Amino acid sequence: MSEHRLSFASSAHSVDAVQRAAYRFSDRLSCDISERPDAVEVIVHLADDTSEPEAVLADFRNEVLDQVLRERIRAETGDVRNLVLALAFSRTGLIDADG
Amino acid sequence: MAKFRGPLAFQAPSAEWQLLPFRFERINGKVLVTNLVGEHLFLSAEDFDQLARNELPTDSPLVRRLRAKHVIREGADELPVELLAIKSRTRYRRLAEFTSLHIFVASLRCEHSCPYCQVSRQSSDKGAFDMTWETAALGLESAFRSPSQNIKIEFQGGEPLLNFELIEEVVAAAEVRNASEGKNLGFVIATNLALLDDRVIDFCRAHDVYISTSLDGPADLHNKNRPRPGKNSWELATAGIQRVREELGVDRVSALMTTTRSSLGRVREIIDTYVELGLTSMFLRTLSPYGFAIKTKSFDAYDVDHWLPFYEEGLDYIIELNARGVPMVEQYAALILKKMLTNDDPGYVDLTSPSGIGIGAIVYNYDGDVYASDEGRMLAEMGDKKFRLGNLHQDSYEEIMLSDALLAPLEESFAPSAPMCQDCAFETYCGSDPTYHYATTGDFVGRKPTSGFCRRNMAIFKLLLDRYEGDAGTRALFQTWAGH
Amino acid sequence: MIALRGKALSAPLEEPLGHTVWKIVDVATANSQRGSRAFVVGEDGEAPEGFDLYLTRSCGPSAGKGEAVLRLPPELDYLSGDDVISVSDDGQRVRVLWRHESRQNSVLLTERCNHYCLMCSQPPKTANDDRLLAEAFELMRLLPRGTSEIGFTGGEPTLYGQGVIDLLRLCRNLHPEAQVHVLSNGTRFADPEFAAAWAGIDNPNMMVGIPIYGAEPARHDYVVQAEGAFNQTIPGILNLAQLRQRIEIRVVLHKLTAPALPEIAEFIARNLPFVYQVALMGLEMIGLARANIPELWIDPTDYADELVEAVTLLDRNRIHTMIYNHQLCLIPRSMWPYTVRSISDWKNEYHPECVECSVKDECGGFFFSAKYKVSEKIKAIPGEAPREPALLEL
Ligand code: SF4
Ligand code: SF4
Repeated sequence: MSEHRLSFASSAHSVDAVQRAAYRFSDRLSCDISERPDAVEVIVHLADDTSEPEAVLADFRNEVLDQVLRERIRAETGDVRNLVLALAFSRTGLIDADG
Repeated sequence: MAKFRGPLAFQAPSAEWQLLPFRFERINGKVLVTNLVGEHLFLSAEDFDQLARNELPTDSPLVRRLRAKHVIREGADELPVELLAIKSRTRYRRLAEFTSLHIFVASLRCEHSCPYCQVSRQSSDKGAFDMTWETAALGLESAFRSPSQNIKIEFQGGEPLLNFELIEEVVAAAEVRNASEGKNLGFVIATNLALLDDRVIDFCRAHDVYISTSLDGPADLHNKNRPRPGKNSWELATAGIQRVREELGVDRVSALMTTTRSSLGRVREIIDTYVELGLTSMFLRTLSPYGFAIKTKSFDAYDVDHWLPFYEEGLDYIIELNARGVPMVEQYAALILKKMLTNDDPGYVDLTSPSGIGIGAIVYNYDGDVYASDEGRMLAEMGDKKFRLGNLHQDSYEEIMLSDALLAPLEESFAPSAPMCQDCAFETYCGSDPTYHYATTGDFVGRKPTSGFCRRNMAIFKLLLDRYEGDAGTRALFQTWAGH
Repeated sequence: MIALRGKALSAPLEEPLGHTVWKIVDVATANSQRGSRAFVVGEDGEAPEGFDLYLTRSCGPSAGKGEAVLRLPPELDYLSGDDVISVSDDGQRVRVLWRHESRQNSVLLTERCNHYCLMCSQPPKTANDDRLLAEAFELMRLLPRGTSEIGFTGGEPTLYGQGVIDLLRLCRNLHPEAQVHVLSNGTRFADPEFAAAWAGIDNPNMMVGIPIYGAEPARHDYVVQAEGAFNQTIPGILNLAQLRQRIEIRVVLHKLTAPALPEIAEFIARNLPFVYQVALMGLEMIGLARANIPELWIDPTDYADELVEAVTLLDRNRIHTMIYNHQLCLIPRSMWPYTVRSISDWKNEYHPECVECSVKDECGGFFFSAKYKVSEKIKAIPGEAPREPALLEL
């Protein structure tokens, strides 16, 4: 196991986003995540036989960024999503098109 | 000419782009974007960046594509919301349909002794492993209680033809019952065809019964998979298929393969066997995980990684055959493509969320036990009755359909709220398969990053999208499959 | 081409006609009925008595003296029994409302429109032309039972609101067997009340043809030159669908729409799968299209890929798709089965290539107005004609 420390500024990264990235990468690495006042600190454990550990870590960082974006999409679109689903189940079928 | 206004005049006035719910996945330098109902488009990384940073211009081909696919909307545009709602409603229509496939395990006995089969018994004791008429009658009652307008009754085994009298009785009783119920009623016998005789043929002709059989590929492979006295399983199966085609019609028989490790590397031969028999559809099935996985609780990425090249080669070969004018459908791809390219959901058990267990299909075992899926029954035969919903002799229809054994996995595995699936660009194409995840990890949801189910399906989704985007001929073929 | 209007060579009337819509009768079709009928005098000069109006051909024998007689211009000499015309009060202006020999009669209801499509074949005007609607009512009453197809166009017919509903109801009641096709831009149907009134006509043989020119607002609105059009037309279509009305989607193909055709097809398949059919129309170089040639012209061979892609997609989604007004030599052979030859009873003017062409009888080909802009790629198809032409289906 090799250990790597990563740090994500709290202003731009939520713990949740980092956790989701860690979950998604849990087949490649494991993480200890801790929250500091101004940063989310992550200790990444990589198996010793990991080929190109630097690439895996870079991918992981990018994944965190994508998770931040996903978080934003969820936040911005949550209302519309609920609206669509409410509409979808409130009325009876239209597209039953075959007829 | 002054009368006409230029294109600029018709851009969205404020160009306040709002995001609509979408998910994304980076694939080979491009970004796959799927909207709330699974319509997809690929963006370049730069284009995606514009979207992600909220830096879309007033108008551009990119903006138009995103609007057309309901990924963004302008300010207060209501139309995209309306259309998304209609599409979602159509997609979930399947849920209201409820159980339409009712599997009757007519007998657990079998004259084959397939090593991977977890359920069959080599026994001549009819009393111990055959379904009785009393049990079947209760199963029939339950089937007709289902609110679905379509009822398909499938006889499985073991080898159901070993209890053919029961099949005759059930079909006759179902037809009498249906005279007043008026449902779309259909029958299927899943058999290895070794016992096919005149009586069975005449019966199937008279009652419009379909035959589903097993065909694993070329003779040596099939016979190795399916030992029986005489070592002639393949010969009997192919002769049976031919006989059904000639005496009942080409559309009346379909075949299903089981993939074992010996199949890997031989996918073209397997497909050719189907083509030779005049079959026009096949299902390139995954390696069956149950026996192995349950005993070892083992992570089966190994199996998946060995199986994927098999699938990919097979799919490409089938695409090639079609291009040459040889019709062949790969059913698993067709199921997924229907979900990708239309608003329809074929309701395939493994690929629905909430899971199709108990909803798409329900299994009545020979002894009256009711299972939410065929895999649930297999699990039970190996000693774990987690998916047993109840027993026809002891529990009412309501007790069975509202049992915890059904509701808990349905609720817990709901993919739109499962970790990772929630954010997955493929979620609308995928399913939750709680039986599989339970069998491999002990809980209904599993851990998707290490789940063979997730790994396999994600790879297939990517493969299908890649081929779809790659070539107009394949696109047309896939659209045909999706339209089936 | 056949002229649909003309000026009388002479119309020495003693008093205004006081009546506009006339059904033409000749020796063969005349009976004892006289009301609203105009007798057209044949070669033999025979003219039964009692008609309020007589027509004579440009060079034909004249009718008796003392009657209201109108001498037709040469281009209207073809008029004969069972055709219907409208004549201005002074007898000077003649418009043909119905040609009994044509299977493509379309009744113009108004020239007003709330859109101003870049390629409109009937450039919108603003003047009040309610009389066209009144004439259409009259026409319905004069058409024989058994009329098989009736088309209504504009302008935008639904601008009349209840007026057009009443007309279509009359049409249904008097001609229940007729296939009725109405062209509309669809925006009016966004009003649920109007859509409901439409459905209330209750004519299963009626279809409304609605154009869409993009899969999102910007392109569509630009082509129809009306802001907010897309966001009304699509809800209009949804309203009609909910009421189980027959809908045809029309896409006129030109430089602005053809490149987006696959997107449009995808949009239809996914969002409007309930439509009855999709008609892909070749651009006719008439009306405003001629003024906008630089913006609109595209050689059909340049959108062959998009055409194939879109038609295949629609077809696989089981949406009945038809290609109109396309020269066969300019589209891939795989598209030929989808082409519909508009049946016209006037002579197409043939391009020199067409004369030698083996498929000219099936070719939707050469509508006259194409002479204003012709693809340089037109090329005779050698050999046997390989297919049966599809008939025009409205
Ligand atoms: S199982 Fe995997 S592929 Fe399927 S939705 Fe979940 S994360 Fe996506
Ligand atoms: S040459 Fe003329 S008739 Fe022949 S396909 Fe071309 S346009 Fe049609």
